[in-house]
Amino acid sequence: MKAATWTGVNEVSVEDVPEPTLLNDRDVILKISQSVTCGSDLHLIGGYIPFMRAGDVMGHEFIGEVVEVGKEVRDRKVGDRVVVAPFAACGSCWYCKQELYSLCDNGNPNPGITEGLWGQSPGGCFGYSHAMGGCAGSHAEFMRVPYADVGTFVVPEGVSDTRALFASDAASTGWMGADLAGTEPGDVVAVWGAGGVGQMAARAAMLLGAEQVVVIDRVPERLAQVRDNVGAEAVDYTTTDVIAELRERTGGRGPDVCLEAVGMEAHAPGAPGIYDQVKQQLRLQTDRPTAVREAIMACRKGGTVFTLGVFAAMVDKFPLGAAMNKGLTLRGAQVHAQRYIPELLERMRRDELVTEHLATHVMPLTDAPEGYRLFKEKEDGCVRAVFLP
Amino acid sequence: MELPAIVSRAGGALLSTLQHVRLPGVGQASVTDDPTTAAHRWRAVTVLKAPDQVGSSASPPPPLDRLGDRVEVRISAAPGDKGTELAARFLGTPTDDEIGELRAALREAKQRLETGEVLRVDPQPHGFRKPTPQGAALEGMTDQADKEGVL
Ligand SMILES: NC(=O)c1ccc[n+]([C@@H]2O[C@H](COP(=O)([O-])OP(=O)(O)OC[C@H]3O[C@@H](n4cnc5c(N)ncnc54)[C@H](O)[C@@H]3O)[C@@H](O)[C@H]2O)c1
Ligand SMILES: [Zn+2]
Ligand SMILES: [Zn+2]
Repeated sequence: MKAATWTGVNEVSVEDVPEPTLLNDRDVILKISQSVTCGSDLHLIGGYIPFMRAGDVMGHEFIGEVVEVGKEVRDRKVGDRVVVAPFAACGSCWYCKQELYSLCDNGNPNPGITEGLWGQSPGGCFGYSHAMGGCAGSHAEFMRVPYADVGTFVVPEGVSDTRALFASDAASTGWMGADLAGTEPGDVVAVWGAGGVGQMAARAAMLLGAEQVVVIDRVPERLAQVRDNVGAEAVDYTTTDVIAELRERTGGRGPDVCLEAVGMEAHAPGAPGIYDQVKQQLRLQTDRPTAVREAIMACRKGGTVFTLGVFAAMVDKFPLGAAMNKGLTLRGAQVHAQRYIPELLERMRRDELVTEHLATHVMPLTDAPEGYRLFKEKEDGCVRAVFLP
Repeated sequence: MELPAIVSRAGGALLSTLQHVRLPGVGQASVTDDPTTAAHRWRAVTVLKAPDQVGSSASPPPPLDRLGDRVEVRISAAPGDKGTELAARFLGTPTDDEIGELRAALREAKQRLETGEVLRVDPQPHGFRKPTPQGAALEGMTDQADKEGVL
């Protein structure tokens, strides 16, 4: 079958690969109908997560049809149309029981790598490096999904593939940020990053009752989507002093909730940006935390900063003093998608949550290298490239 | 030995040293212990099952039972409704390989008890594995990854 693979730093290829087979009794095999690029993939492509092997199949946000079921699968059957959580979670360990699915104790067969890096191992994510379990991803005609009863969700009739697709990752990640940061009716919420994740975080905050939601980015097409499709306010950080603007908009308090959806390759204008780039290239820091720093400085006293953006290891010049003295809550997580997908699908069915506009570029899987190029360069207004196997 | 095999071995070795590196935040296990103390530490997983479902020191759950009388096993209730702590330590002085074997056995025992299976990843679809030094090192790491870590 055809699959889009990582073949080196800044190199995505389309290769012929063997078809997957059932490996465990709780597995299903899916025929993939749509699979989409995620900002997290850019960190792999850029070589910032050095645990990819040439030939690894990428992709972790996808929708498909069940074509084969393992003998211990109870609730899924051949023909089901399902979206899938990006992290494989067993459903029976203590973390899964707390609905902290991306922390599943049993979902990562390579725990030694991440334990060494972080002290404990989170779960495993499809198509997201051997440090995160090494399970093949979804940019392919077929895919094997373990723990199928826990991680796959039947899409209700009336919800299109392209809408449901984003329940998998972008929407569930955004929703998780707004939820776990404790967004309450009346809150002012600021979101850094207007990619799929930031836009969905903004929409979630609105649906959870936030009074004012402001999204910060620099890409004009993305800022336009924030205004037109999400219904939030948009700020261009290249022409506006973000911290001053947020202070002015919030009666001097700062936002109650700050959701960072940018990650380790944040862009920063001027000298601080160059400083971070150089340190990252020299491997003196692994991540560029520009947006997190700004969020901490902007946040109101006693507020919450949540990093949805992915970070790998070390950052530099972290304003811990501001976080401590302002009494902030700092939190972050990989997506606990299993916790949110059912509710998101229901909101999608009711047209409260609309995601189709994120799929700016829909193309055959064989065009994946060009899709990733457009996505990475944010060319031609690309927000997400969707691949059709 | 062929160069790729050497590099692959080095990848595995790198992973085992990662946990002894004294960079702040990287590698936590037994950073300051001397090797003998480190080798004799209790290694433990917490299993979300009642203690009697996990087993007893006299009959530990498989595949931990395979380590026989080389290890001492302790099974006790975990605080806060977190299940059962399944712990083991070597009686004699183990080799690095034996410690790796114990880590893998503890992880597998937990997984079988909690999920009824051991999650597999191979064989699975992949494209051409271009032979590169980084690739070989990574393969060495993944070969060892169930036997390494801070456990
Ligand atoms: N926590 C999770 O489970 C999870 C899930 C999906 C994605 N992510 C992460 O979330 C982040 C965003 O994902 P995405 O798919 O939306 O990515 P994306 O690349 O499409 O969007 C990132 C956006 O951030 C903007 N940006 C860059 N620097 C900025 C700055 N200093 N201030 C404000 N905006 C800035 C970019 O212009 C871009 O629009 C990535 O780091 C990704 O890895 C995490
Ligand atoms: Zn993602
Ligand atoms: Zn679990």
